[in-house]
Amino acid sequence: MILLCSGQVSAKQFDALLLFAAQLEGRGHPVAIHPAALPEDVLQQQKYEIAPWLTDDEDIDADTVLVIGSEAISDDCQHLLRTLECGAETRIWALGHFRTYQEEISARTKIAYATGQEPEVLNLIGPQRPLLLDGQAAPLSTPLRAEPDQRDGAVTRLLVFVPAEELEPGEALSRLAELNYSPKIDLHVLTNARGKGIIRRSSHAELSVIGYVELPPAQIINYVDVVAFFGPNVPGERMAALALLAAGAGKVVIDCTTAASFATSGAPVLKGPSHLASLLGYLSDVVLDQRLEIGRRTLKSPWLAQFDGAALDRDLKLAPPKPAAVPQAPQTLFFPTNGNGLGHAQRCALIAEAMSDAVTRRFAAFPSCIDLLERRGFGCVPMISRSTEHEDDFAADLVNYLRLRNVLKRGDGFVFDGGYVFDSVYRTISDLQIPAVWIRRGLWQAGQINPTALERERAFSRVIVPQECFPELNTDYSTGAHISNVGPIVREGRLTSDEVAGLRERLGRHFDRSVKTLVLTMLGGGVASERTAQAQRLCSLLERRPDCLHLIVAWPNAMVADGLFGWQNSHVVRTAHTLDLCQAADLTVSAVGYNSFHEILYAGVPAIFIPQSAPFLDDQERRARAAADRHLAALVLDEELLMLEREVSAFLDGSKADEVRAALREANLQTPGNRDAAELIENEVAA
Amino acid sequence: MQPVSTPAKIAYVIDPRFRGGTSSAVAAELEVVSAFAKVEVYALSTAMFSGQAVAPQLARACARLNIPLTWDPVDISADLVILHNPSCLKFQDRLGTRILTDRLIVVTHENFVRPGGHEGFDVATCLDQIARASVALRRELAPISAWNRETVLQWSAKHSPAHGWEVLEEDWFNICAFDFLPPNPAPADRRGRHSRPGFEKFPGPAAMLQCFPETARRNLILGADAFLKAGLVPEHWDARPFGAMPVADYFDQIDFFVYFTAPTWRESFGRVLAEAIAAGKIAITDPETARTFSGAAIAAQPEQVNDIIASYIAHPKDYEADVRAAQEHLKQFSPDCFADRFGTLLTGPARVYA
Repeated sequence: MILLCSGQVSAKQFDALLLFAAQLEGRGHPVAIHPAALPEDVLQQQKYEIAPWLTDDEDIDADTVLVIGSEAISDDCQHLLRTLECGAETRIWALGHFRTYQEEISARTKIAYATGQEPEVLNLIGPQRPLLLDGQAAPLSTPLRAEPDQRDGAVTRLLVFVPAEELEPGEALSRLAELNYSPKIDLHVLTNARGKGIIRRSSHAELSVIGYVELPPAQIINYVDVVAFFGPNVPGERMAALALLAAGAGKVVIDCTTAASFATSGAPVLKGPSHLASLLGYLSDVVLDQRLEIGRRTLKSPWLAQFDGAALDRDLKLAPPKPAAVPQAPQTLFFPTNGNGLGHAQRCALIAEAMSDAVTRRFAAFPSCIDLLERRGFGCVPMISRSTEHEDDFAADLVNYLRLRNVLKRGDGFVFDGGYVFDSVYRTISDLQIPAVWIRRGLWQAGQINPTALERERAFSRVIVPQECFPELNTDYSTGAHISNVGPIVREGRLTSDEVAGLRERLGRHFDRSVKTLVLTMLGGGVASERTAQAQRLCSLLERRPDCLHLIVAWPNAMVADGLFGWQNSHVVRTAHTLDLCQAADLTVSAVGYNSFHEILYAGVPAIFIPQSAPFLDDQERRARAAADRHLAALVLDEELLMLEREVSAFLDGSKADEVRAALREANLQTPGNRDAAELIENEVAA
Repeated sequence: MQPVSTPAKIAYVIDPRFRGGTSSAVAAELEVVSAFAKVEVYALSTAMFSGQAVAPQLARACARLNIPLTWDPVDISADLVILHNPSCLKFQDRLGTRILTDRLIVVTHENFVRPGGHEGFDVATCLDQIARASVALRRELAPISAWNRETVLQWSAKHSPAHGWEVLEEDWFNICAFDFLPPNPAPADRRGRHSRPGFEKFPGPAAMLQCFPETARRNLILGADAFLKAGLVPEHWDARPFGAMPVADYFDQIDFFVYFTAPTWRESFGRVLAEAIAAGKIAITDPETARTFSGAAIAAQPEQVNDIIASYIAHPKDYEADVRAAQEHLKQFSPDCFADRFGTLLTGPARVYA
């Protein structure tokens, strides 16, 4: 294990530690960072970056300690080094940009005093390793690829770094928009949080923007073939690292900074125009048709060879990384978000069940879904749900990120089902570069459709959009060859009339009563929308009916109101057999989530839909109305309690249930897409 | 006309802002040398001590002797120039003052090399600055102790410094002008140490626990700023920051002064041990540091400390006798001894006018 320390505990050196740790890990070295290296203020994104390396005292077993920024070693650093109590077998290195011999001696002595043993010293400046920018703390290096890592084809993936200050006037944004319209260019803008805000608030909000610290540089370059830097000069250590890594990967790096900072350092970069207005022309004339050749020449640069990570490893006498343990068979990991019910897990399970048994399938699942998935035969890695008890609201996702990193490896496939792509998901995919599929159902509410919601689509190699069964409910939120629409993902399993009779009989025995009328209520978990009034109203209505059994389905983690207990005819049940119960029921009263809705329609069940409504939910009312307009169900809004009473009567006392059953039998519903989705995932994983 | 002998003009060149034992030693030296020579003190504002104030003991000595501090003169001319602590030049590459003298003595307070052989500072840069800035008939390095001498010789052998530096034969020791206090006739296991809080002054955590164990009745550690800041103070330690109490009060509370440093650093003289002995304590330290005091300090390893202390507690007469013997040894560092040893050297260059 290599333990990394920094001379100072500061935001700048902490970021340098992250950059260096990523480089070392990228070369296969196990890396650890002690919590004492963290400055007071750590950004959310930095917490994700450091989490895999953060190691407590008792878990540190370092054979090497590397102290970066050794040109100024603080008391804090000396404290840390002293508490480590390194044995003589631990190699300790002082790495720094030493301008004088005395600086080297100072570094050496301070470490020697703190550890009681002599460190070795590596001066990172000198004829062999020029300084990329003043005040640089991280020992920047890059792996050198044999061939350029660029995507084939006519479209060039372009990353343009623009500082926020240059986005303010608006002119730059127009120029970026022009670039974005070019069919030859797949543009991503790289800027800081402020710059991102400016873009999102502008009339060019649709631009793809990557935040400066959104991902580590080594992951950002996976999305691009060409990188261009604008602004006055080298925009900090992180961007210097990105430029170096891009060059080492055989990408084209264009220095459009006013000071031509990269170009004048001797780096193998192109000197581009300093005005964004000229970039498109420059790219067309100089870069786009030649980018592979430019990348090849970049890789041959002697300047670049000075930053070869392998050479740094040799300088530091680092032992070659141990080969990976026995390779495991590839797996496809499904990660359904927890949402407000079981919908995502249910949908993923249906698709996973439709896949070939030749593919090893596994789930990363939240506690509420684990029972459902394990009963269906899938192994689960437990994930952690958000909690208001956590200090950071992203704390759970941070742990989930570590679990995903641990469970996934290159060669695996990954399937995510959810509306918001968690940082854990985005980072894991960006890091491992594994085939990744996003199952993204539609029917978003108007306010949910925005570039921010879709920007992480870039991480996925395929997006599967399960369709709604009615065409007017389907909308394309993004386009491209990677988007695949499939029919509704729906659980099917029609009961025969004998099975229905048998089920009703068993229910009668279980509840020790005659069941002439069976009503099933599934109004959701109560998290998204409070539906106690409706449920109680139903209990009250159905209490008057003789031989009526009213089952209220409570989802895992559902809040069940006290008022739902104590009725003669109504009982709260926890069950996964809702599809069977629906088919056995004379009436189902249900919320209108994607799964429930389609199960009910495809099973031909007469139902009253009471949509849930919350800003983060899909548009359930629209979905329910589409069915009601076709006389395939009834729609009752949450405030329509009298309407609910009339509809219940119409279904149970009148002929509406039969009419709905007949209409459903005649309905031309789209063919389910379970198998199509499964096949797309199989192909993606195989690719 | 009878020949007239004028007192030698001796110029001290120092950065008077350095702290600790070195300042105290130079202050004591000024008192001694002023008695038989005309002394001038030239102050260098080196990069090393930028922003710091003059050490109080030096300021007091100069005031008492009525010697003004002349800061950063263009040139210095004297029969003898004594430059103390050349390491103060380590963060710069030019000494802006020219020195013209018959004899230039550079007192090497900071060890040239550390245990293990690595340079303690960029010695060549410091000596070169002095040599380039000076015109002298003789240039000499004056070690302050046997160990300090060893480091100077070791460094010189390896680096063959330019400009013909010679090494003075006698140690230019720290003058220890302390009052001697009587030892405690009934010593207890009351241990302590004090020093500036630098990491070099402390051994590793394991050695510290050996020196200051839970079994001791008292472990008073003055200058424990680093331990306090890190929250790494065992419950059985009374750890105080540097300067938290008068040194006299501190010595009142201990009978054994246990002083080990980081194994990668060593005191060049160890004035703090002399202070402890003068205060009537048994001083225990590593063998190399103890060597300076020729038996006045007890040489040991940290793991031997408990037994040594237990033995003295069991035999208080030995304790008393050994403290008194150590105090006798200390007299070799008295002002009189310094005058005896260096009187000729210091008065020798006096010019004789017809």
